Parts: sequence; structure tokens; C-alpha cells
Amino acid sequence: MEITVKAHMPGLVARVVVNEGDKVTAGQEVAVINCMKTEIQVFAESDGVVKSILVKEWDEMEIGSPMIILEA
Amino acid sequence: MLKIINGGIETVVEDWPGRIGYLDNGMSSSGAFDNVALGLANVLVGNQPGEAGIEIAGGYFQAEFETDAVISVTGTDMKPTLNNQPIPLWESIKVNKGDVIKFSHFAEFGFRAYIGVAGGIDVPLVLGSKSTCLFGSYGGYEGRKLQKDDVLKFGKPSKDLDSLKGRKLKPEAIPEYSREWVLRAIPGPNTSPDYLTKEGMDYLFANSHKVQLNSNRSAVRLAEASELSFARPDGGVAGSHPSNVLDHAYAIRGSLNICGNTPILLIADGPTLGGYMSALHVINADLWKIGQGTPGRDFIKFVFCTQEEAVEARKQQREWLSEKSLA
Repeated sequence: MEITVKAHMPGLVARVVVNEGDKVTAGQEVAVINCMKTEIQVFAESDGVVKSILVKEWDEMEIGSPMIILEA
Repeated sequence: MLKIINGGIETVVEDWPGRIGYLDNGMSSSGAFDNVALGLANVLVGNQPGEAGIEIAGGYFQAEFETDAVISVTGTDMKPTLNNQPIPLWESIKVNKGDVIKFSHFAEFGFRAYIGVAGGIDVPLVLGSKSTCLFGSYGGYEGRKLQKDDVLKFGKPSKDLDSLKGRKLKPEAIPEYSREWVLRAIPGPNTSPDYLTKEGMDYLFANSHKVQLNSNRSAVRLAEASELSFARPDGGVAGSHPSNVLDHAYAIRGSLNICGNTPILLIADGPTLGGYMSALHVINADLWKIGQGTPGRDFIKFVFCTQEEAVEARKQQREWLSEKSLA
């Protein structure tokens, strides 16, 4: 089953801290969004393996923008 | 008492009017970003309108009550729940020890939500205010935003809790939110013809300016105004760009700094002085709208206002943020 990690705040992608193929656990930081001059962590909501990364540094996110797809 | 489970994006203790009287020492006033939402939250729970409450920017705040209390939630609708059941905004409700309050994210309109608590938030006064200055790391709760396991104490309610619950606002007292926030503003001190051309000032008033993502409690940056026309070819000894002036005091809160071609609203935790021109000043009665401007989404439009209108608007706001607004 695919699970999409979405942006929970508007902002710019500061970095993605996982690579395709990485195993992640629920609650693990997978990316960072920059908003209000503050780095805001994005966490995986469930366990899985990173299937694809949809964003790159400086991409602009709206709330709910898809960022990473996990295979659970 | 309130034990924090998740501090969310940026949740701080703020009162109103904040820490005023120290600009000459380089200390900004801080205070609620939206003093109307805080003021009405306080009125609902029987507090003075400037009492300290909880300001939630963005969302995701979650906490457990360790005592019974009466609270109100105002501002943007972050779909707050109590023990996973939706709770209404703009009215006071009783909460019991063990109840968990949880917020989602900001809504279609607005960016900040407020929790008012009967008796207020009991944090130490720092230079006369309970407000957090994030960039100075003082005031509020240990000078920072709230985080997991922090415990906030409450003050003494003005009446017994049962008499404070179930209070509502008159429908007309609930502020109207928008994605284009109209701010009344007085030109100056650096305006046309000395610093901007007439066309430059007209540009500021005639257009809507998008709120940029890197806006925060210190300043709200607006979209670069490439067509802004300056009266001077450069800033003289102050710098090469004509937006430069010799360092002067900034009239925060509400001054519109022009930094290069970028208009920047200086607000709560903003700088008290600097070397850029200030083209106009948002009136005190409209400052609250800046706090609800969503970064990367909303727009700001300035409309001309006289000083007399500004004084009258402030009087009207005092009436608004009083028990006269209760249903």
C-alpha cells in the first residue's frame, strides 16, 4: 500500500533527509520545510520504505502538497 | 494547569498591548499578533481583554488540562477538538481535568488561533508584560515557544467557573476574515515627495501585496515591488539604494519598511531602529489583521486613513473588545 507524506505547512523545501529505498518508521523525520524563517520537520506517519521522492530543495509547498511516497 | 503534549508549529503566550515603553532600549513590544482574537477570547472567559492567552500559529497544538477551567477558542478555525469531539469557536466552554484539546491546521481564512483561559495564563511579568519575545528569548513561558511537557499555570478566574461557561458573542462581534486584508494606513514618515515619487506612493496604495513565506512575529515581508519608484537616485551616505536612510527609530508596531524594493511590515517582535525608509504606518486598530495573514497565500491592501479616523477606530475597537460584545 502506498502512503503519501504531505506538507503540513506552506513553505519551501529546505531538505529531504531520506533516500529512495530507505526504511523509515512512524514518527521519523523525513524532510524539512522552511516557513516563517523557521525549519519545520516533516515526519512519516507510518512505517514504510521510501518509494519515491517528489520534491527537491526550494520547491514551494502548500498545505497538503505531496512530498514523499512510502510503500507500507 | 495545562500540560503541553505537542507545541505545534509556533505556540506562544502573549498578552496585549505587550511590553511597551522600552523602545528606546531596543526592546520591541511583542504582544498578541491578533489582539482582536485574543481580546474577544478574554472577554468570553471574564478576563480583561489584554490578559495573556495562548497564540497558536499554523496549528497542531495539543495539550491536556490538569485542572478544571473555562476556556474559549477564537481566531482561525483549526478544527479544535476536546477529547476528539469538535468544540465551538467564539464561545466559552467548561473543560475538566484530564480533557485533551487538539488543533488541526489553519483554515481557509486566517492563520492564528487563540485560547483564552478564565484567570489568564500565569507566567511571570517581565518588564510589565507576560508576552513572549521570541527573538529576544524573554517573557512568556521561559522566553520561547511551547513544547512537549511544558506546564502552564492559570490565574484566578474573575467569577466561579459555572457562571463563565456558555458565554457567546453577538454575531456582529465576530471578526470577518478574508484572503485580502485591508489595512488602513497613514503615510509617512518617509513618503513623497522626498523619498518616494507620487507614483511610488500610489503604487503602494493601489495594489495588493502578497504575504511572503518568510514572514514571522518580527516582520511580515510582502512581495517585491519592482515598480516602486523612488524620489532620490540613491541613499546618499546611507547607502547606494534609495531605500537607505541614516539609521532612525522605527515606529513599530505597524510601520511599512521599504528595504530595497521589498515592503516589510514591522510588527510584534520587530526591530526598533534601522536604516531603511518607512513609507506608511498601519493604524493600531488594524494591526490584528496582519496576524491572520497566511504566509504564501494571503494579500494585503493598504487604504489611506487620517489620524482622526485612526483615533476613532481605536476607540471603536476598545468598545468591540469589551463585554458589550457578549450576546
